Amino acid sequence: MYGYVRPVKGELKVSEFERFQGVYCGLCHELARKFGFFSRFLVNYDFTFLAMLLAGDEPVAMCPRRCPAHPVRKRACLESCQSLSLAADMTVVLGWWKLADGAKDGKFPASVGCRLACLALKRAYDRAAARQPQFAAAVEENLAALQTLEREKCANLDAAADKFASILRSISGCVADPARQRAAGELLYHLGRIIYILDAADDLAEDIKTNSYNPLRYRFQPVNGRLSPEDEKLLRTGLQHSHNALVSAYALMGENAYGGILSNTIYLGLPAATQAVFAGTWNASAKIHRKRSNL
Amino acid sequence: MNDPYSVLGVSPSASDEEVKKAYRDLARKYHPDNYHDNPLADLASEKMKEINEAYDTITKSREHGGGSSYSYGGGAYQSAGQSRSASGSAQYVRIRNLINANDLAQAEAMLNAIGNHDAEWYYLMGSVYWRRGWMDQAGQYYRTAATMDPSNPEYRNAVQYMNQGGQAYRPAGGMGMDMTGGDAACNMCQNLICADCCCEAMGGNLIPCIGCR
Repeated sequence: MYGYVRPVKGELKVSEFERFQGVYCGLCHELARKFGFFSRFLVNYDFTFLAMLLAGDEPVAMCPRRCPAHPVRKRACLESCQSLSLAADMTVVLGWWKLADGAKDGKFPASVGCRLACLALKRAYDRAAARQPQFAAAVEENLAALQTLEREKCANLDAAADKFASILRSISGCVADPARQRAAGELLYHLGRIIYILDAADDLAEDIKTNSYNPLRYRFQPVNGRLSPEDEKLLRTGLQHSHNALVSAYALMGENAYGGILSNTIYLGLPAATQAVFAGTWNASAKIHRKRSNL
Repeated sequence: MNDPYSVLGVSPSASDEEVKKAYRDLARKYHPDNYHDNPLADLASEKMKEINEAYDTITKSREHGGGSSYSYGGGAYQSAGQSRSASGSAQYVRIRNLINANDLAQAEAMLNAIGNHDAEWYYLMGSVYWRRGWMDQAGQYYRTAATMDPSNPEYRNAVQYMNQGGQAYRPAGGMGMDMTGGDAACNMCQNLICADCCCEAMGGNLIPCIGCR
């Protein structure tokens, strides 16, 4: 989806990297198994993170599998489990709504692509939404509210970020333990905020060029597609506070088998993505990452 | 109560040094300063209590040289930063209580019902936004409060905390990156030195205390 939520690969242990890859491939297989071939294209890092975050303390079972992307050598994939199944449902629900959004608001050639993808995934969406009715309702409601804010050219960055953050927070509803649910809700809310704000910062120049909505255009006064150093400092300090809140919530989530990968993603991955976005190198580094990792 | 060793995540055969180290890392993790005005502060303080109790139980059961067990923080400290000093009108006192109890919707409704927006109003609105996670709005309201009443230390501290980027736990060893492009470990030293200066001003000394523990 966005891909900002990923571990720094070089800092993972080999065993952790294999496990991470296993969850990513496992999620892809889970999507195909439950929702058909096309839903595979929705697989992403953000929901891979989610599958790991929401995993209980059950042991991790991997099995070797082939897939169209890796037809010759089998890859270790996480076997279907509750958190993987949940992550697959949510991937389809949110992915479909984002495509629907693109079909409605996108510019000409892309909007047609989104419409076709929406049609291809409609049955998958219906099934996933029936399994996660509360999440589907939260996505629909918050995306509609976000569209209203976009039309009003909302200058309140927090209000705009709140919609996407609330979508992520609603996922915490599936956590049974009340204390853990509160921690997960807070963690996911700030994760959503960070993703939304990073995405806005990353797209700022492009959005100004195409005259599309971007909260930073109205909250600050960008010149030539860039924020002034003072504004950037203010924005990044705000992100730092959100990151602190996320870290503090994470400490209250309790440990599971993915602790090393989750810690890497939170303590190193998010700051690294932020650094790359503000340095203007995110898109380039994301491409290199995709190529190298073969994920 | 849970097994004190599993609370600290060490085996019963761990050395005193290992127990102390595990305890210290956990205490650093759940330290009240990491949950400054945080909606999860109650969960962290429960956790802190559990860790303190586990450490006390272990040190007492091992009975080493007079049982000089200590606990990080302590009762008085755990509510620091959470409870707001109750100054101003009765209305504001009620709103502060609501904010401390995390009833943000009610606090916001009461604030919105007030027509006259003085410095305290902006400060409290900032606190509501802060707790909600609306950091950008919180900063704007705190700054307005501090501009309207520059002599008030509460508002000034809030702005300073906002600008300085706050703090949170980072595991030891190479996980010290932050979102502003700086080095979190470096900021932590700054905070520590800052805190030490404050401590010294009040007759205490923080840095040597950590050293000798």
